Amino acid sequence: MIAIDSSVMNTPKIDLENLSQEQTALEIRDLNLSYGDKQALFNVSMKIPKKQVTAFIGPSGCGKSTLLRCINRMNDLVETCNIQGEILLHGQNIYDKKVDVAALRRNVGMVFQRPNPFPKSIYENVVYGLRLQGVNDRRKLDEAAERSLRGAAIWDEVKDRLHDNAFGLSGGQQQRLVIARAIAIEPEVLLLDEPTSALDPISTLTIEELISDLKSKYTVVIVTHNMQQAARVSDQTAFMYMGELIEYADTNTIFTTPTKRKTEDYITGRYG
Amino acid sequence: MENINPNKHISGQFNAELEDIRNRVLAMGGLVEQQLESALNALIAMDAELAQKVISGDHKVNGMEVSIDEECTRIIAKRQPAASDLRLIIAISKTITDLERIGDSCTRIAKAALDKDLNAQKPLLVSIENMGRHASRTLNSTLDALARMDADAALELHKSDAKIDKEYEGIIRQLMTFMMEDPRSIPDILDVLWAARAVERVGDRCKNICEYIIYYVKGKDVRHISYEDMEKEF
Repeated sequence: MIAIDSSVMNTPKIDLENLSQEQTALEIRDLNLSYGDKQALFNVSMKIPKKQVTAFIGPSGCGKSTLLRCINRMNDLVETCNIQGEILLHGQNIYDKKVDVAALRRNVGMVFQRPNPFPKSIYENVVYGLRLQGVNDRRKLDEAAERSLRGAAIWDEVKDRLHDNAFGLSGGQQQRLVIARAIAIEPEVLLLDEPTSALDPISTLTIEELISDLKSKYTVVIVTHNMQQAARVSDQTAFMYMGELIEYADTNTIFTTPTKRKTEDYITGRYG
Repeated sequence: MENINPNKHISGQFNAELEDIRNRVLAMGGLVEQQLESALNALIAMDAELAQKVISGDHKVNGMEVSIDEECTRIIAKRQPAASDLRLIIAISKTITDLERIGDSCTRIAKAALDKDLNAQKPLLVSIENMGRHASRTLNSTLDALARMDADAALELHKSDAKIDKEYEGIIRQLMTFMMEDPRSIPDILDVLWAARAVERVGDRCKNICEYIIYYVKGKDVRHISYEDMEKEF
């Protein structure tokens, strides 16, 4: 019998528990979060690897969006929100008092469920972040706009009407435009909160294709209600249930041989 | 596996589909079991009529393989099964291939029973009968383990295939002695050998099915690995 080296057959698995510093984009340590009296996250600890797609899945209200929003401190805007624990980006706790939240959000971009372009031209939408940073050199802005629109796989569709209003685009195009806007400022991490739940199946596939391309440059963290989407686009999947991280492993394992009963029941669509 | 909970899908329709496909595999298994029993009886008694019945019954087994496979494809397309559901569908799809091949072995055994010349070799057929009964019991227990999705039983059965292999080796040695003693008997003895070979293959196919049971229950692919490694999965 011919011995087949298993590493040739399968992409090597990443050891999520022992990720080295270089491989880690984000490390979440003992994160507890409550909205007023209601605790929404319980002792969540995980390492999110660099330049890979990590998906958070789980039933409604399980805390996956809350966890995602913690990564760029969107929850700061909620008054009753109380957070304990650490999220490390480059070894620095993003909840440290010294951290400039605006700078953090430049590094950690976010895209929401519903496309939210600004009521401006396509071009101005993309360069908005750069203008805020004080970049006004036309050539630099043009370059950034083309690079980002290409990066978001929408350049060919809009290159002849860059100065049209962004609201004239379809939902799927608007969502890709928003992704272009997020990557124009070259963040390291891109957070996607159910980016395709308002889109039709074809636009969804375009965005999924885009997500696979994005990971060559960015670390992508995606929250999705669509389990098959998580299976299709992500390298790692974290299953959350009632504020706890139940199982976190490479996507192939989660979808073929999950080790926890709760994960199995959720993935296969059974009563919990 | 305490993880697996075959029913209880939120979709009752999906439950019904999985239940139905499992029942159909077991029905196919029952039919193949019957074919093997009849083929062995036909060979021992040189009963041409019974042998003919086995041969003409094979198309039923083939038809079941095709229709169950179609159902597997439909479930994958419509339900996108994951985790244990996915493993169940894959295990079923592979199991029916092996069951169909056992059906082919039965036809081969039955064809030997139609060979009039083999009447002279009756004493030799007795040793095939012993091995055949053993293979038949193994098939029966394998189908039992499949019905209960019992990985421990599957592991034990997997090990017991070695016994059938030993019996087969014994028969080969015996047949070779006969051939050396009387070269004129070689054509007949070769026919006996093919029948013995068909019986031995039944054991191998059962072993494969046991591997699929273990795959479904434990989520581990145990093909082509040693028993020591296999036992580590338990």
